Amino acid sequence: MLNIFKKSAIAGAMILSAGAALAEYPEKPIEVIVGYSAGGGTDVMARTAAPFIEKYLGDGASLVVKNMPGASGQIGVTEAANADPDGYTLGTFNLPGMMARTIDREAGYDRDSFTYLANVVNDPNVIVTSKESGLDTLDKLLEEAKANPLAVTVGMSSLGGDDHFALIKLQQATDTEYTIVPFKGSAPARTALLGGHVAMGILNISEVAEFQDQLNVLGVATNERSQFAPDLPTFKEQGLDLVNGSMRGFIAPAGLPEDVQAKLIDAFSQLSDDQEFLDAMAATANPIEVVTGEEFKQLTSDLYDLANSVWQTTPWN
Amino acid sequence: MPESRNSRLARPETLTAVGIIVVAAGFLVPTYDLRAISALLPAAMLIGLIVLSVFLLLADQRKASAGEDAAPMTTSPKRVIGAFLMIVSYALACDFVGFYISTVVTIPLVAWTFGYRSPVGLLIATVIVVGTIWAIFDFGMSQDFPTGRLWGR
Amino acid sequence: MYSDLLHALPDVFAWTNFAAVVIGVIAGIVVGAMPGLSATMAISVLVPFTFGLEPLVALGLMAGIYNGAMYGGAIPAVLLRIPGTPAAVATTFDGYPMAQKGEGGFALQVAVVSSSIGGIASAFALMLLAPPLSKVTLLFGPSEVFWVAVFGLASIIFLLGGNPIKGLISACFGVFVSVIGSDPIYGNDRFTFGQLEMLDGINIVILLVGLYALPPVIDLLETPLKTDGVNSSKLGTEPIWKALPRMNYWKTWLRGSFLGIWIGILPGAGGSMAAFMSYNEARRTSKHPETWGEGEPEGVAAAEVANNADTASALIPALTLGIPGTAVAAVMLGGLLVHGLQPGPMLFRDNPDIVFGFMWQFLFGAILLVLLGGSLATNSFARLLNLPRPLLGSVIIVLMLIGVYSIHGRMFDVYLMLGFGAIGWVMDRLKFPLPPVVLGLILGGFAEENLRLALRIGRGDPLVLFQNTTSLILVALTVAVVVGPTLKKRFIDSRKKA
Repeated sequence: MLNIFKKSAIAGAMILSAGAALAEYPEKPIEVIVGYSAGGGTDVMARTAAPFIEKYLGDGASLVVKNMPGASGQIGVTEAANADPDGYTLGTFNLPGMMARTIDREAGYDRDSFTYLANVVNDPNVIVTSKESGLDTLDKLLEEAKANPLAVTVGMSSLGGDDHFALIKLQQATDTEYTIVPFKGSAPARTALLGGHVAMGILNISEVAEFQDQLNVLGVATNERSQFAPDLPTFKEQGLDLVNGSMRGFIAPAGLPEDVQAKLIDAFSQLSDDQEFLDAMAATANPIEVVTGEEFKQLTSDLYDLANSVWQTTPWN
Repeated sequence: MPESRNSRLARPETLTAVGIIVVAAGFLVPTYDLRAISALLPAAMLIGLIVLSVFLLLADQRKASAGEDAAPMTTSPKRVIGAFLMIVSYALACDFVGFYISTVVTIPLVAWTFGYRSPVGLLIATVIVVGTIWAIFDFGMSQDFPTGRLWGR
Repeated sequence: MYSDLLHALPDVFAWTNFAAVVIGVIAGIVVGAMPGLSATMAISVLVPFTFGLEPLVALGLMAGIYNGAMYGGAIPAVLLRIPGTPAAVATTFDGYPMAQKGEGGFALQVAVVSSSIGGIASAFALMLLAPPLSKVTLLFGPSEVFWVAVFGLASIIFLLGGNPIKGLISACFGVFVSVIGSDPIYGNDRFTFGQLEMLDGINIVILLVGLYALPPVIDLLETPLKTDGVNSSKLGTEPIWKALPRMNYWKTWLRGSFLGIWIGILPGAGGSMAAFMSYNEARRTSKHPETWGEGEPEGVAAAEVANNADTASALIPALTLGIPGTAVAAVMLGGLLVHGLQPGPMLFRDNPDIVFGFMWQFLFGAILLVLLGGSLATNSFARLLNLPRPLLGSVIIVLMLIGVYSIHGRMFDVYLMLGFGAIGWVMDRLKFPLPPVVLGLILGGFAEENLRLALRIGRGDPLVLFQNTTSLILVALTVAVVVGPTLKKRFIDSRKKA
């Protein structure tokens, strides 16, 4: 991982010196379209990152966040996909949601509509159980699910989101079945868990960090322990191959001029080394994992394929 | 004096009831494509609307037979239609021409058309309202209002 | 915990933080008083702006706006029969008749005093009882919340007005509008006709502005030039301390505060339901229920005390669990997140000065309301609404557009609002009651969502709805509310005969 960052930083520095001579981008304010209301997780990410991107773009660059909420971010991302590819309109991008929407409904964009700049946040899924359920270890949970298929109720946010894909991965990996209870958002699901109305929940690590004492956190769906909450064990440590999460990043419309693209990617790639930025994101409960350019595009493509294969076998609406 | 058949059907409540029945029946069509559990509540409400409107229709026709005149919806239909048209065109103008231009034109236009004809008063009111909106929303809160689709974003 | 509370106090009195509350209350009253603008809209416009502010300045502004707007909404509700905010619908019932009788000034004074009392009670509940009350919220799972919604829907029968058929049509219409959007469980579209803008459902503010503000605007333009019948000289203003002794509504205030706090801590229902229920209860227990709806000041008191009593209490589940009790609290939660305040049990430990400071700001906001609202409302706003009718109409049109456009920043909502406005005008002229539409929209989809979640938890077995004490109590309450008045009437009738 570190190696990649180092490489891209060096490459970025070279491009930067070349690019500065070529064009004066940005000449005017850059608009960042956020598909959610002000104050949501994605909005906070965009507004927290904006001053840092301005700093790394240099030349008095300015980023203006524009909220276009609605339809789980779809209105905003469609707007960004159809904007002029001149580098003055960027957008936020959520995975796997934005790709799942191209499958479960008509969407005004597809995975080729974007220039992939950087994924910034990776909020891994966690499996939690309510204290009342008595299922305080992963083994106990799987045992119960195997003994009584569909008896374990799972609270999570809506179908076709990262929580849902994590559950499908769990079902496939362990050959178990659960009853899905899809709440409108994570906070109501978490509340139902706290009240013992559902037995198990699939949430994201940022959403349970404050509630570790009130819930049993069985594991985190990452390869290595999350820096966000290092005391929580991963599933891999417990012998279960389950990696999944909710991702948020930045895109631009497809067909961006190459020098503009390089300059933007370079600015974004410097985020991961900026301690001030990392602190600001930690304060707003955003676990960071910066992935830029081609790698981000590949990540999106993989998630699309996963969502599509799930849709083919078990469509959720 | 019994009303003619035509005017019996043109009573406001009768027309409204018929309108509700037609629209609710129209909305019932898409419920067939939904899962049963998804369709349950909306279908129940639409059927409820239809049944209730039938009652409303019957009650109103009974009043008509009894020779009760229906109260007219308005005594000055021209002004009502004019007001509606102006509001709709204001919204369209905001969308296509831009918020500030449309507002500067609409406030005095509407007030003048509907009877307030003091030029000084109109000028002061327009300046105060538009100025305050600009100061608070645009200057203070950097809120964007529609700039007009005709000019391109 | 209580020492933390005292420790946070000095910060609140730092002059910038205190000024924020004062400015917030004034701004809130103005926003609430403008037909078309709502507290939800004001706070969502404010949230991005607060990124650059100190936490207590930002939160003070929001606390002030919330408190101010919940009262401000009463001003046009009383003077023009246009509720300035969704929660002020019940205020129109008696407030507008009072204004027509020339008691508008007294109605506004009752409103401001009641609002302030409700706000203070709510702030104390938030400061002193937040942790235990959040435990109460946890008792309410999907099946319990479903019964709360049914209980609220049952109270529609008291709002049907003179013609029950028309009342029921209104209610069905409201519930139908509430199901437009994505299905709560599967997420597929219902009646959106492919419009992404409708996928999240119809925002209550859009419906409310259309139904309640457009018909009066048409009225203003329809009748030829003449200043509004209700002008400030006829408001009957007297200094507030002289009016105070006439307000002897302690029972109503107590009951309304309790109801408002209670409904605030339950997720999702919000201020309008609190105001409706408080109004119904106060009328039911009144010695002279026949004067209600014709200008009974106690009706204004009941509605206004309850819609302010849920302001701070709606933040109890928001701060402790991350689930806001009202739409405004939902937007405020975003404002908290911006400052790194993550809801949860740790919040009170990690940021005590800010969280408890915020609570103090709610309390001071509520107290300031009497001082600022009393003079502001009667002196200036009442006069603003005294403009020549055509001018007033045209200004309200502009405000409606701004208010609806700013919620999501799109024209689509404005067109939707105009559509509801046309429906609202017909309903108004044919005397279809509007409150059942509002209550139906707020509670219909909410009841459906929770019923279906409960059924999923019970894996299809309807018995899951009756499996615990909380549910059974709510069922009993609902039955009592629906059947109670009829039984009581029969009982009285039979005794008369005997």
